[in-house]
Amino acid sequence: MRYQKRTGRLSVPARKVQLATAAMLLMATTVAACGGDSKDDGAKASAPKAPAAIPELTKDPLTLSFIWFDWPPAQALEAFANAEYKKERPNATIKVNTVPNANWHDAMFTQFAARKTDFDIAILDSQHIGEAVTNGNILDLTDFVKENIDVNAYNPYLLAAYGQFPQAETGKRDENASLYGLPLLGDTWTMIYRKDLIGDKPPQTWDEMISAAEKCQADNPGVSGLAFHQANGSDAAAVTYNTVNGVYGGNLWDPKTRKIDGVLNDAAGQEAMDVLVNKMKPLTAKGSGNWFIDEVNAAVAQGKACIAFNWIAASGGLLDPKQSTLGTSREQILDKLGFATLPSQKTNLVPLGGMGMHISAYSSKANQAEALNFMKWFEQADVQKKWAAAGGVPARTDALASPEFLNAGPFNKVYADSVPRMRDMWNVPEYARLVDIENTNVNAALNGAKKPKDALDDIAKEQQNVLDSSNRKGGGGL
Amino acid sequence: MKDPAPLTTDHPGQVVSVTPPAPGRSRRLSDRWLAVTFISPAMLLLLGMSVFPLLWALYLSFTDYSATRGGPANFIGFGNYTAILTSAQVHTRALTTLIYVVGAVGLQTVLGFGIAYLISRRTRGRGALTTLFLVPMMLSPVVVGLFWRFMLDAQFGVVNSMLGSVGLGQVEWLTRQRTALVSLIVVDTWQWTPFIMLIALAGLTAVPKYLYEAASIDRASEWFRFRTITLPLVWPLLLIAVMFRAIEAFRLFDLVYILTSGGPGVSTETLSFHIYKVAFLGFNSGTASAYGILMVLVVIVLTQFYLRYLNKLKED
Repeated sequence: MRYQKRTGRLSVPARKVQLATAAMLLMATTVAACGGDSKDDGAKASAPKAPAAIPELTKDPLTLSFIWFDWPPAQALEAFANAEYKKERPNATIKVNTVPNANWHDAMFTQFAARKTDFDIAILDSQHIGEAVTNGNILDLTDFVKENIDVNAYNPYLLAAYGQFPQAETGKRDENASLYGLPLLGDTWTMIYRKDLIGDKPPQTWDEMISAAEKCQADNPGVSGLAFHQANGSDAAAVTYNTVNGVYGGNLWDPKTRKIDGVLNDAAGQEAMDVLVNKMKPLTAKGSGNWFIDEVNAAVAQGKACIAFNWIAASGGLLDPKQSTLGTSREQILDKLGFATLPSQKTNLVPLGGMGMHISAYSSKANQAEALNFMKWFEQADVQKKWAAAGGVPARTDALASPEFLNAGPFNKVYADSVPRMRDMWNVPEYARLVDIENTNVNAALNGAKKPKDALDDIAKEQQNVLDSSNRKGGGGL
Repeated sequence: MKDPAPLTTDHPGQVVSVTPPAPGRSRRLSDRWLAVTFISPAMLLLLGMSVFPLLWALYLSFTDYSATRGGPANFIGFGNYTAILTSAQVHTRALTTLIYVVGAVGLQTVLGFGIAYLISRRTRGRGALTTLFLVPMMLSPVVVGLFWRFMLDAQFGVVNSMLGSVGLGQVEWLTRQRTALVSLIVVDTWQWTPFIMLIALAGLTAVPKYLYEAASIDRASEWFRFRTITLPLVWPLLLIAVMFRAIEAFRLFDLVYILTSGGPGVSTETLSFHIYKVAFLGFNSGTASAYGILMVLVVIVLTQFYLRYLNKLKED
């Protein structure tokens, strides 16, 4: 039998030396890697300031990159900006990179974590601002806005919602607070209802809406009374609950005392959860517990829902005859579909949607300058009207009242009427965790995995833990 | 041309003389240096891509570091580990993962071995059948997740449509607590049964024919032959396949992400999915690192026990 034997085997001391060298090398690498973060050490995170005046712009070809999630407004923005902004800056190309909605937050913040971004303008949800500002990921635009933007042209709350941190009180703006972004796309929920099934006049109260849906479902077998967001990804189920919570007079938290437990799950909150789970859910289609924007639109387009709730910015496809079974032309579809502001009950609050533009702190100086120039250009009155005509939802008051906007879609008036009624969620650095807790628990309640009261109490308790655990040593995030 | 220098000896323990370098080769380029030169790129890659991240994660697991918040990584001892091990949230996910691993791997083993046994008895079309069965395993889990999501849709999915055509009612496959986990197990089984089948088929093919011939001469029944020849010989190989599948299933993330997003509620959230949330929703890098290290430890410890059992089985 032959035994293989290695030749030139090192002596034991030599091997020890090699092992020790390897260990030292590894330790040195680790220490070096630890040292690489030295600029983080002790540095209190805060957003760097953008210049008040736009620096000199490059004449070289430049691509200005955005990051957003994949939906029709993203394509509309890229087409619009390349068509219009190029007239002013022929050397600039606009690229709107998109990711699936569920990955949107991760795609932006993992790049922020790496302190290197492949985008210049992050389109952040209004609730992401706190996290990005606290971590120093986006530029402070306060001085730039003072010099370049006519703030009086906006509804103060819209300007605050898409840019201000700390968060603005509902309906108000703090003139002394810093601004970190400017509005890109306004949005809120619209009620979509079947005029041919429930009549031309939309329900005015939440109770009326439920009764109409109930009757419509009973009268039309195969058509469900309601369709709304219930999925546990993104903020789907959370926005649904928050909307009902607002309508029934509930509050998500007390921002001054940072108190959630006892506020969210008070009597109004419990009533809202009861309405959602026990009155609205039974009127939805079987298996709709994982529906979000696209599924709700599909149900409406296929004539499978009497009343539905969806974001206005995502509703354009409903009027496309190629995607609908309700008619062969836009007019025929509009004979059957109506769009209205949300019914009120104890209050008339509606959810604030939409997003703002925020400049990455890690983008190059030339691209940051171009981004500032783009924002200044975008917020002009005539450009906002063109954006409205191109399918966007502007934030300037004059653009919102313009015929270009109001005539562009049947739901645009709904948005204009909803602006004074908007309420946002929490805009705090812990937002991603808060919304996940709410999403999963509301989704559990809607799908029978938890009792409504237990779900609401769990949300309140877990969210309170998140807010209270900032000084906890270890186990953050569980 | 000269014969190459011998690298082996006929007798163990014999001292091997150091072979002088071939003419024309630099004296410094000994066999050992050549070996080091050839393996060093792979070793560096391994160190850079596997060993260093593991050590880095180990370091972070003892700190309160957050990737987005930056700032110093403060040493907090075993704080993260204690929090994870005592967290009710983690216990829930561990139970879900356990049910999933046992359900999916058990089902895959039974089906995989059954299919392999049936295929091994065929003489015609065996290759084509094997290839056909392997197709699911070659697909990306994301693709598999997406088309199963459509197939299992309660409203327009083909599965409910088929159930409806035989007079059965609609089932909410992905949105009910019990059916959602079952759906995950079914989809994973659809994709990974071929893996067990392939290994079992290799084991079945390797069983010496003469054993069956001897059993035939003794007029042994089919069941007796299966019980006393086939199963004992294939069993060790099957157990290795089970181990690989169990490790994979323990780390399940992609199917959960695509099919249920962990829902309804958190009822299909596995440990890996939970780590993802800890790491990327709150960017609690320290906690997520400790969570990951604990998962690695669990796999290592369980695998060691399993391998010892396998060795014992082999010795017996």
